[in-house]
Amino acid sequence: MVIHVTDADFNEKVLNSDKAVLVDFWAEWCGPCRMIAPVVEEVAENLKDNLVVAKLNLDENPMTASLYGISSIPTLVLFKDGKPLGKIVGFRPAAQIKSAIKGALGL
Amino acid sequence: MFDVAIIGKGPAGISAAVNAFARNKSVVIFGGDSKKVLLSPSIPNYPGLPKISGKDLMERLNEHLKLTNATIINKTVIAVYAMGNYFSIQAENDFYEAKSVILATGVDFKKSIENEDTFLGNGVSYCATCDAPLYKGKVVAVVGYNHESVEEANFLAEVCQKVYFVPMFKGEFKFKENVEIIKDNPLKFDGSLKAEKLVLKNSLIEADGFFVLKDSLPLTSLVPGLEVDGPHVLVDKRMETNIKGLFAAGDITGKPYQVAKAIGEGQIAALNAAEYLDQKK
Ligand SMILES: Cc1cc2nc3c(=O)[nH]c(=O)nc-3n(C[C@H](O)[C@H](O)[C@H](O)COP(=O)(O)OP(=O)(O)OC[C@H]3O[C@@H](n4cnc5c(N)ncnc54)[C@H](O)[C@@H]3O)c2cc1C
Repeated sequence: MVIHVTDADFNEKVLNSDKAVLVDFWAEWCGPCRMIAPVVEEVAENLKDNLVVAKLNLDENPMTASLYGISSIPTLVLFKDGKPLGKIVGFRPAAQIKSAIKGALGL
Repeated sequence: MFDVAIIGKGPAGISAAVNAFARNKSVVIFGGDSKKVLLSPSIPNYPGLPKISGKDLMERLNEHLKLTNATIINKTVIAVYAMGNYFSIQAENDFYEAKSVILATGVDFKKSIENEDTFLGNGVSYCATCDAPLYKGKVVAVVGYNHESVEEANFLAEVCQKVYFVPMFKGEFKFKENVEIIKDNPLKFDGSLKAEKLVLKNSLIEADGFFVLKDSLPLTSLVPGLEVDGPHVLVDKRMETNIKGLFAAGDITGKPYQVAKAIGEGQIAALNAAEYLDQKK
């Protein structure tokens, strides 16, 4: 499942989520973000039993991005039980993203 | 989707382009003219052209390149990703796709700044056009290794509150008012979760982000997963790397650093890339 989150509902939808959440920090002007979008959707579909993918537009939601020190995009941050488990900066193929997530979640 | 993408427009890259074109492959080639060639006052040992200067050789190579179908893209490649069946190439903020890739980026002995790799993507960036909007109204520092970095610092100065510029080459600089030049030797990046400071020999710069702008990028960040030996890429006799469909040629594969070797290897890499493409069909 792919959802959209904002500064306002980040707590509720990401930090308090029962499932692990992969947050995709992106922006309109970022070329690599457009490239990674379908890849992230594929990952979401593949791992749908264990993972929610949440997209966060960094220009519209600067607070969350600055809180997690996002300084280059795309950045993917994996959250579980309200805590960031790890992050991937820059474009990656789906297989690499999946195996990083599986490793972090012990799947 | 191109058949062959060539990274680097020196003798190796242009030789690869000419030979891939001869095999009827579509070609895209990235980068600007080779500074090594341009800087050579004369190249006395390239057979057939005993008196040629580096500048003239570059001109002749470019003329030959124009006779091919190659699409020329004067941008720095930030990363090459192996996608399984094809490659995705990020050139600054744009993406290109190709079925095979030839690395011909030359060799670079400039040492990275300490912790440059650790903080890459965490406060350190190789691409101003990609990440500038993230630093709107903030303070950034640029470590500039080439003339293009001056332009990029001015571009950053349009969005950022303040830009520090640390020149790693000699020259006259023309900057916007909010750019401050710091002539000092960068030693290392420091910070907790992300880079916060650049420690120099006699000073310290604190900034929200740091841009390291140079002609060539460390191989491990240029091609994730590539097998390297120091500044060189490991290749087999066919000039293929450990990644299928990804070849390398020229100074990047090791000594001797010579034009004739670069041109020969560019040819071997292109012909084997063509064979790889034909077998894939
Ligand atoms: C002063 C001097 C004198 C020399 N004299 C001789 C001589 O007499 N005889 C001789 O045979 N050789 C000589 N050489 C060596 C010769 O210049 C090199 O061996 C030759 O240029 C190697 O070719 P190359 O294509 O492998 O790499 P290069 O010529 O270094 O070209 C690589 C190109 O790739 C580009 N590039 C790198 N990274 C990227 C990226 N990420 N994205 C896009 N583009 C990228 C670079 O900007 C560069 O234009 C001399 C060199 C110097 C510096």
